[in-house]
Amino acid sequence: MGAGLADVTLNLLEGFKLNCIVFAVTLLCSLPLGLGLAFCSMSKYRAVRAVSKTFVWIVRGTPLLLQIIVVFYVPSLVFNVSSLGRPDAAIVAFVINYTAYFSEVYRGGIESISKGQYEAGQVLGMTKGQVFFKVILLQVVKRIMPPMSNEIITLVKDTALMRVIANKEIIMFAQEYISGQGLIWPLFYSGVFYLAFCGGLTLLFGAVERRLSYFRA
Amino acid sequence: MAILEAKNIHKRFGGTEVLKGVSFSLDRGKSLAMIGSSGSGKTTLLRCLNFLEKPDEGVIKVNGETLFDAADPSTHTESDVRRKRLHFGLVFQQFNLFPQYTALGNVTLAPELLAKDDPSYGSDKARILARIRDEAKDILAQVGLSEKMDSYPHQLSGGQQQRVAIARALAMKPDILCFDEPTSALDPELSGEVLAAIRRLSERNITMVIATHEMGFAREVASQVIFLSDGAILESGPPEQVLSNPQTERLRSFLNAVL
Repeated sequence: MGAGLADVTLNLLEGFKLNCIVFAVTLLCSLPLGLGLAFCSMSKYRAVRAVSKTFVWIVRGTPLLLQIIVVFYVPSLVFNVSSLGRPDAAIVAFVINYTAYFSEVYRGGIESISKGQYEAGQVLGMTKGQVFFKVILLQVVKRIMPPMSNEIITLVKDTALMRVIANKEIIMFAQEYISGQGLIWPLFYSGVFYLAFCGGLTLLFGAVERRLSYFRA
Repeated sequence: MAILEAKNIHKRFGGTEVLKGVSFSLDRGKSLAMIGSSGSGKTTLLRCLNFLEKPDEGVIKVNGETLFDAADPSTHTESDVRRKRLHFGLVFQQFNLFPQYTALGNVTLAPELLAKDDPSYGSDKARILARIRDEAKDILAQVGLSEKMDSYPHQLSGGQQQRVAIARALAMKPDILCFDEPTSALDPELSGEVLAAIRRLSERNITMVIATHEMGFAREVASQVIFLSDGAILESGPPEQVLSNPQTERLRSFLNAVL
């Protein structure tokens, strides 16, 4: 294996591909699931609220690192079913974790919308669904953009944690240069990939916030 | 004939009885002004009429049809509430415009959503939407906002926002239009334009129930005034009688305080 900048870059990109896939799948699943969980946390039924609040408490109260390990090992050790593949286990753990965090961001946004907005829609004969999707949702999206951007950028960097169950992600690729060739700079260089990715996301979030700046909510 | 009849409306919040048996009726094309201090039950009564609160006792009839009867659970079903609400419109003290829609969008949103229930919507969508748009433009012109149709709520003054809210309520063609202190959130200099818009509606014989602190306006627009105190109607009658010749000490001191 060569150790020129171009070779290392290509090699690390190969590893970063997994980080990107896990990032994308987690977002795709957790953004809608988080909204569903937020509704559960605000349910008029006490039991539903209790279950979702307990779920959020457990997920936010334990390290993500540990959750990845649990998802990978517990099914086979405790329940004697075959474990998920390594990347799949990581994805499941990320989806569980980020669903909990996103749900709290959504809940904060939804609860910050004044009751008057719902009532205005209701007295105009709109259904509850119409009020939510036509009136409330976009205002919520605008309000939660800053905290949501934070969470999503944290997710990019959290994907590094999946190497705890031996997933071949970028930092693992970088570390092979230490054991194989005694080179440490590829490890430091791997940070550039995260930095570039988060930079792109920051620009994207800025663009979305500008798109939503035509109204005040 | 009475277009609206409310009989013996009671409403409790926890242990507090906010409405203690309110009854009144209103003829088509007439306006009723509700006066009374804050906490007297004006807002709660309007919210009951618009099904935002469910009375604990009482009957609400529109055009002789019983929309709500506390003693008859079959009138409480959620699915019917949406249809029944359309008999009433409500203009809020705080406007409650939808911030992400233009003035025109605020007015067309609910009629567009309602039109989807129309069986001919699928085949006739473009024509129906165009008609809704034209009507909305018309209504906005009536409240003097032709120039502001494409403005977003935050670009409008309070008085303009409240006139959009009035247009939005009118677009649903309610039988009875309710106002909850429509000028209380406005500077005095902006109240005038809103009151003028409501006055024009009364000239067009739109049936209205108006909670207000503007006594001069009540006298001019209303055919009937009710004075609410502690959740009950203490006095009612034509404005010249109620406002000029109060019978109770409670109303006398209220009028002295607000005039």
